[in-house]
Amino acid sequence: MDIDYRETLRYLGYKNQAADEAVLALVGQCWDELERISSPRSFWREYPLTAAGDEIDACVFKTKSLALARNLKGCQRILLFAASLGAGADLLIQRYEKLQMSKAVVMQAAAAAYLEDYCDSVNEELRRRYEDEGWYLRPRFSPGYGDFPLECQPAVVAALEAGKRVGITLTDSLLMVPSKSVTAVIGVGRTPLACEVKGCEACGKTDCEFRR
Amino acid sequence: MGILETVRERKLFFDGGMGSLLVAKGLKPGELPETWNVTRPEVLQDIHLQYLRAGSDEITTNTFGANGLKFGGDGEFSLKRIVTAAVENAKIARERFAKERRALADGLPADVTGTAARAADRPVSGAAGTEPCAYIGLDLGPTGKLLKPLGDLAFEDAYELYKEVVIYGAEAGADFVLVETMSDGYEVKAAILAAKENCGLPVCATMIFDKKGKLLTGGDVASTVALLEGLGVSMLGVNCGLGPVQMKEILKEILSAASVPVIVNPNAGLPRTENGKTVYDIDADEFARVMEEIADMGANALGGCCGTTPEHIAKMTALCRGKKQVLPEEKDRTVISSYAQAVEIGRLPVLIGERINPTGKSKFKQALRDHNIEYILREGVTQQDHGAHVLDVNVGLPEIDEPSMMEEVVRELQSVIDLPLQIDTSNIKAMERALRIYNGKALINSVNGKEESMRAVFPLVKKYGGVVVALTLDESGIPETADGRIGIAKKIYRTAAEYGIAKKDILIDALCLTISSDSKGALTTLETLRRVRDELHGKTVLGVSNISFGLPQREIINASFFTMALQNGLNAAIINPNSEAMMRAYYSFKALADLDPQCGEYISVYSGTAGTSSGTGKAEPSAGIAAGGKSTAGSPASAASGEMSLARCILRGLKEQAQAAARELLSQRDSLAIINEEMIPALDQVGKGFEKGTVFLPQLLMSAEAAKAAFEVIREHMSGKGESRQKKGKIVLATVKGDIHDIGKNIVKVLLENYDYEVIDLGKDVPPETVAAAAAKHHAPLVGLSALMTTTVPAMEETIALLRKETPWVKVMVGGAVLTEDYAKTIGADRYCKDAMASVNYAEETMQKPADRKQPHVSAG
Repeated sequence: MDIDYRETLRYLGYKNQAADEAVLALVGQCWDELERISSPRSFWREYPLTAAGDEIDACVFKTKSLALARNLKGCQRILLFAASLGAGADLLIQRYEKLQMSKAVVMQAAAAAYLEDYCDSVNEELRRRYEDEGWYLRPRFSPGYGDFPLECQPAVVAALEAGKRVGITLTDSLLMVPSKSVTAVIGVGRTPLACEVKGCEACGKTDCEFRR
Repeated sequence: MGILETVRERKLFFDGGMGSLLVAKGLKPGELPETWNVTRPEVLQDIHLQYLRAGSDEITTNTFGANGLKFGGDGEFSLKRIVTAAVENAKIARERFAKERRALADGLPADVTGTAARAADRPVSGAAGTEPCAYIGLDLGPTGKLLKPLGDLAFEDAYELYKEVVIYGAEAGADFVLVETMSDGYEVKAAILAAKENCGLPVCATMIFDKKGKLLTGGDVASTVALLEGLGVSMLGVNCGLGPVQMKEILKEILSAASVPVIVNPNAGLPRTENGKTVYDIDADEFARVMEEIADMGANALGGCCGTTPEHIAKMTALCRGKKQVLPEEKDRTVISSYAQAVEIGRLPVLIGERINPTGKSKFKQALRDHNIEYILREGVTQQDHGAHVLDVNVGLPEIDEPSMMEEVVRELQSVIDLPLQIDTSNIKAMERALRIYNGKALINSVNGKEESMRAVFPLVKKYGGVVVALTLDESGIPETADGRIGIAKKIYRTAAEYGIAKKDILIDALCLTISSDSKGALTTLETLRRVRDELHGKTVLGVSNISFGLPQREIINASFFTMALQNGLNAAIINPNSEAMMRAYYSFKALADLDPQCGEYISVYSGTAGTSSGTGKAEPSAGIAAGGKSTAGSPASAASGEMSLARCILRGLKEQAQAAARELLSQRDSLAIINEEMIPALDQVGKGFEKGTVFLPQLLMSAEAAKAAFEVIREHMSGKGESRQKKGKIVLATVKGDIHDIGKNIVKVLLENYDYEVIDLGKDVPPETVAAAAAKHHAPLVGLSALMTTTVPAMEETIALLRKETPWVKVMVGGAVLTEDYAKTIGADRYCKDAMASVNYAEETMQKPADRKQPHVSAG
């Protein structure tokens, strides 16, 4: 994948400021190392969806969430999605945390951007596949976004057998390990969205430091 | 006849998938499949029976996810009940199948019409009725947790989880243990050790590899085979993750490395979802056809994983039964491994870096006493950068607890460096502690020809796997002749064989005695090397630099001797890879001995260098610019002589230049003046820039790193003069229990240390009691806690409450992604720190009177 300087720098706290050459060089190095060491994997499964008001029934989990209900409005099906860069990225970050903290923070940001780009590319494939059959996808929405409870995480991970298929495990406190992992739901409906709101703009946390 | 005898005679067939069959029978999403062992035993028995009728010689118990994490307590679903029922179900199915078969053999009508026909085709081993017609494999799957240091499950806890299942399963009557679907070599080691130490059954293991032939945690086929065979599995192989088509490449690699029978249990194909159902890209006929190819390639045991059904297995056994069984040849390869890679000791000389060793190094000794792991890690990384393939680890100091230090250092090294390690100790306890937690197949240094040594070391080599360095000395000392040393080598090989350790897992150390006391020393060593290679067909190792002990300019002799030793067959050399002379000898030998095709490596290392640098060390990134930009030019830096002032080096994050500038300044000015007038103002400037948003996190840290490097130079200078700089105070830092993301805490640590605080870093996932105990022990005035997730903030609150109770004097600062000012107040913290600079500011505020600021304490030592 091409080096995503923009997103990497955004995760490092840059808004529109230019980064100096040393930082850019570090981003490039980190991206190369990630490319060498990580083997991104993903998996998804489709389930029927029933929603009434803010009550969502996705077969593998039932929950109440206004934000999720808004995201899934007009959908009849739901995709559960999981992706991970694998343990390699975490090992790299851990290595540099011990050896060169400046590189560790850049690595961490680069890995986040790398994962996001990877998810986007898988998502794009899915979009094409579904649109060929007359279905339209909603933006990815992850447990923990807005009022979509993090407690749905174990059900999503279990339903996808994410441990053996993607390598995602959960700690007792529901953190995903390896840390550079994503789970999400993707709504599937018969109508295209007029204006796709995704990523930061879809999130209710308006005071977030990293908001675009 | 047991499973291991059967597989020697003919192709062995495993069963297929379980999960999808249970779903078809009504298993709900989220329902734990293992509960059906108790609630729906008839379903499990029927599935097992179907596989037996399909031709499986093996049925796997429904215990993939059965462990103490999911099934605790004594109730209906106690772990013991789940596991025992699983084995019982398999046994019942096997009995029913045996009955069908007997009925058929006796010419009576089978009680299940038609289906018993296949049973009659089955090869019968032993007298009918007395031998089992199938083997029951006790299934051990992954725990569902990632092991520390990446995850939150300790290696020892993983071991305990497996141990429980093994004990119940063996008691209930399983025939062997099948560790499967593992994607982490460390976890599989825990499972295999648990099986081997708690039952006498054969242990087999299969792993998930991806298309590139990698495990999730980074290991490859060669490193995994080395690990598994080292641990003594009876069969090994691959399952899940891929379909049979994609597994062919992996199988090829396994067959080229493995010496034990190989198992292949693929998924039904590559999965995709269609209308909510998982379907596979190939059907049962195609599956069977590809499995036939796999059988012909040399797989010894074949079955299926996710998505495969009795139909897949029946079609496969129909095509593969009767094929000739060819077992893998015993490979004569000497291989060690880390979690990530294998290193073969053979044709190409292997360099073992000797620098992690306190002998004769006062700084290293001090680092050990101080638990200064960072110092040790840097010794490791530097050697890796200079070309070491393996790192020797020796932490022996009379006054330290060597076993726990060895364990600590090995854990830390293997979390940062992906090279295999050589465990170097004469302390057997330290050796075992290290081997137990080592993530791979280690090199072990050393055993020798003394009975006592062999009796102590060989059992460990056998149990944990490893390649062992064998010194050619015994009760009567070091033989002066090559004859004597060859004699001891033979004795060591012989005794090792009695323990079941192959010759390939022994490196004969030909030993060298310094030529300053024995002028024939080198010749004896070289003759020994040659004869081990030519007469014993063994592998050799040498601590090269001993040869020059007592001579001036030892490198000159060492490098020449190294070349001679390589020419006489030396396979692995324990050397200092940071020594230019030794590396030159190494690269030129390889080029001269046709071990470096087209001299490619030699050229890449030495072209463009003027012969002064090996070029193997990676250049430092051209680090940071312009913290604070243009304004830096004339500001704090005043005493600039040379290229760039120290302050400017810090502002721009230039580590090496900062050290050079500090050295330069020390010849002109007092240490304290340099710190106060050059360094602190520069750090402050960067910090302010960060707060204003003109300096960003990477630059802030690059500056901190440059400052730290300069501090080291100054500290050394001060200690040379018997001075030391007193720390401002102690701060305890921890990432709270349940939270394993500590990058934020580590950033804070770097900055606090820069500002001369003594940081007691408790790490991540730290229980409240540990934090309180550390705060009390060090009487720390300030504690910093971090938490990343809403789910771990309660642990933070709990920690603060305990601190209030146990250490009422302490101030608590908190930080982390989900925290806010209000949230921090609610949970009782004294201060919310939104970033690392905020923590520094709070530390300065609470721990230092303003007047102290410009006058760090100095004490003459």
